[in-house]
Amino acid sequence: MKKSHILGIIVIALAIGAIISTVADAATYADFSVAIQNPGKQFQVVGELNKEKDIIYSPKENANEFSFHMVDKNGNEQKVIFNGAKPQDFERSEQVVITGSLEGENFLAEKILMKCPSKYQDGEAGELTEITADSNS
Amino acid sequence: MIEYVGENLLAGQIGNFLIILSFAASLLSVLFYLPTSEISLEMNSWKRYGRFFFRLHSFAMVGLIGILFYLIYNHAFEYYYIWRHSSSDMPMKFIISSFWEGQEGSTMLWTFWNIVLGNILIFTAKKWEGSVMVIFTSVQVFLSAMLLGIFPFDIQIGSNPFVLLREHPDMFNLPFTSNPNYLDFVEGNGLNPLLQNYWMTIHPPTVFFGFATTLIPFAYALAALWKKQYQEWIKPALPWTFFGIGILGLGILMGGAWAYEALSFGGFWAWDPVENSSLVPWIILVAAGHLMLINRTKMKSIFSAFALALSSFLFVVYSTYLTKSGILGETSVHSFADGLPGQLIIFLLFYLFIALFFLIKNGRQFLKKTEEDAFWSREFWMFLGALVLVISAFQITLSTSIPVINALFGTDLAPPAKPIEHYNSWQIPLTILVTLFVAISQFLKYKKTEVGPFFKKIAPSFIIALALSIVMAVQLDIRDIFLTTLLFTSLFAVLANFDYLTRILKGNVKKGGSALAHVGFAMVILGSVLSAGNKEIISKNRTQVNINFEDSEDANNENVMLLRNDTVLMEPYYVTYNKRRVVGKNVYYDMDYLKVNSEGKYQKEFSLSPFVQLNEQMGNVPEPDTEHFIDKDIFTHITYADLENLDSTAQDAYREPDTLNLKIGDSLFTSNSIIKLTQFERAIDKEAMNLQPEDIVLGVKITAKTLDGGYYEARPIMVIRGNNIFSINSKIEQLGLDFGFAGIDPETEKLKILLAEKNKNSGDFVIMQAIIFPYINVLWIGIIVMVLGSLLAAWNRLMLGKKKANSK
Repeated sequence: MKKSHILGIIVIALAIGAIISTVADAATYADFSVAIQNPGKQFQVVGELNKEKDIIYSPKENANEFSFHMVDKNGNEQKVIFNGAKPQDFERSEQVVITGSLEGENFLAEKILMKCPSKYQDGEAGELTEITADSNS
Repeated sequence: MIEYVGENLLAGQIGNFLIILSFAASLLSVLFYLPTSEISLEMNSWKRYGRFFFRLHSFAMVGLIGILFYLIYNHAFEYYYIWRHSSSDMPMKFIISSFWEGQEGSTMLWTFWNIVLGNILIFTAKKWEGSVMVIFTSVQVFLSAMLLGIFPFDIQIGSNPFVLLREHPDMFNLPFTSNPNYLDFVEGNGLNPLLQNYWMTIHPPTVFFGFATTLIPFAYALAALWKKQYQEWIKPALPWTFFGIGILGLGILMGGAWAYEALSFGGFWAWDPVENSSLVPWIILVAAGHLMLINRTKMKSIFSAFALALSSFLFVVYSTYLTKSGILGETSVHSFADGLPGQLIIFLLFYLFIALFFLIKNGRQFLKKTEEDAFWSREFWMFLGALVLVISAFQITLSTSIPVINALFGTDLAPPAKPIEHYNSWQIPLTILVTLFVAISQFLKYKKTEVGPFFKKIAPSFIIALALSIVMAVQLDIRDIFLTTLLFTSLFAVLANFDYLTRILKGNVKKGGSALAHVGFAMVILGSVLSAGNKEIISKNRTQVNINFEDSEDANNENVMLLRNDTVLMEPYYVTYNKRRVVGKNVYYDMDYLKVNSEGKYQKEFSLSPFVQLNEQMGNVPEPDTEHFIDKDIFTHITYADLENLDSTAQDAYREPDTLNLKIGDSLFTSNSIIKLTQFERAIDKEAMNLQPEDIVLGVKITAKTLDGGYYEARPIMVIRGNNIFSINSKIEQLGLDFGFAGIDPETEKLKILLAEKNKNSGDFVIMQAIIFPYINVLWIGIIVMVLGSLLAAWNRLMLGKKKANSK
């Protein structure tokens, strides 16, 4: 076998590997009802903050825990606990995207992406802020 | 018809004229260059007109840029673009950034660099001028069209930077649009606070300069395929390729420096889609440059050289699509939301189709000629390196393109939840290979290398790198096997190329460009391993337990709360939150970093002042502060702060009291002390307190002890007058505590104590993060060395080309 054939096979194998790993590592967009049916599995949920309910952050007790209620696009409401500090101006957020999984009663979020209302009248996309729980890596 | 006061409409009209002129001139330039596209030195009138229209296009575009700057500089908020991206209180350097914050401005920036390069090409391309300029100028047609802002058949073509604020669709029928004096009160939106950083003044122009440079190898490669001149294009294209590698590399890492200094994610690289989409064209350009180098004299892997030289520019266009079409929307922090997706797709597909067409049509001819390289030859290992780079670019593109994949195939994938782990799991092993090839390939000769002498030459760097990396891994406690290997290979690459530069080339700088660039590249990788791979979060929360996340192995406890004047251990420092200062729009938090000296006392080492920029319109933005040492950086960042009631009157105001039911002898924590109800006080001088003799009074003595040993007392009094009960409050000013005594429950004997605290008592805390980045300077120095090396290599290639041309 020629060197070029061996290389070709390796490259194809790596390319397939990359595709598989992208699909495997990708989270899935879902609503809370799907997340509840699949506890422990990673999902990405898009929704809004329920501003009526309590938004709890008491850094004196735990600076790394913050909880709120979120309503997904299909109207399901769920309590979400975020392992990290409360994002600045969280109450102002218009849209929230969280990544995480359902553990027990609560949805534990590892990442929050929030979109604040824009200053433009038509509600065109505003500024995005991303907050990740762990920066260990 | 309303007569609006103070509008400068003339500038916009000239601007609009220049947009049309720039578009038309670029189109005419293509048309006139087309008949003269044969590879020939002959000067004819077609070519003259082609040049003339390119210069006219250049003139129009430069004028356009001048007008937009003029309008921003004069705060002409009657224009939507100016209103949206600038405000009148901005300093000059940010006015420059406002120019390219929007999509129209950044398109103009890109077009500008193309003009600079195109005008150089007219003089340097010689016999390639006709064909290269047709391709080059056609890109300008697409770019100019993005500024047109016309609506034929209800299809929007381009987005015009001179649209008036009152005529913008977003402002339709708002009251101000019918007020003739609206300019008296309209104020610009200002620049996104994240972009108000000096790196943002220089990073975008540098990246766009790099992006523009990729068009030159693309144009040469395409012209060569078109005109079936499969070999000669490499020589003139090569210097530009190395130039592009240097400039784009610099631009990307400037973006990293900005992220490190101004963003809060704690690091210079986060595999953000926008970062990725500028990295991929660079990786491809590097691979292309190396393959072109192999093929400049022979035709061994010429097909891949063509493919990659074409791809780099295509990836630049794809990257523009990703960042400007809004498709990244929910996945990236800094993707532009508004865009012209359709137009960008046509732009991309047009060139993708042409490139594929010629590559397939004419590429078959040389595909058969491929013969195998010898195993111990430089070209074999360079080819291998290029292959690894392509795989790396493929993997990054694939994962970054998840939103595109969803749009194409209707899937519902979300980007990886842990992007850094995801990308690193591929990129670290691939980088190990790349650095290994970088280490050895300089010592290999083209065609065939004697194995014995090769190993002898490479041995010293190998052994020293191995020894050093073992020592460093142990000392820095790097446990990860991949990181340790990468530490070794990158160190090996630094040493081997340095060795090559000094021992083989004997410091001959002219020839040393590539070795220098490789030293720099390997230093960038080494610096990343040491700083990012080994960063240490010192703000570990030691006291609070995270109940909900305790099972998860990487439960986050990286945020620590600091009360004002609190001192908390963050190994090896003690950190005190000293003061909060409000300066203009910024709220600074002064953090003192202390160490315990030999006498056992705290001694201040340095202070950091991370701040939060208050921004009503775009949200408050925290900015970190970093102390730089030669061997490490200490990064400090506010993750949360109470930003209510910041001014001093509000700070000194008392909040609504809490009602406490306490017995004598009970203790309670306030925000700054422990209070205790010690005893009743019955002996009260009613007359002195202006009370009536028949009032029934009862006092209570409350003591307050602070953590640093302060002792205070308060004596609130309950007064019963007829059927009314009221309290005579007693304050402890120093602690900002106000006590009232509002009643007593006869059954439980509990006292109803009203406690109010000053706003500043509880507002004065911060949640912060502190990270040590060791040896991050290796990274920064590496960037400079790499850029210098690439530019030197480009210069050297250019001179080499000239010399050969002269000797012929």
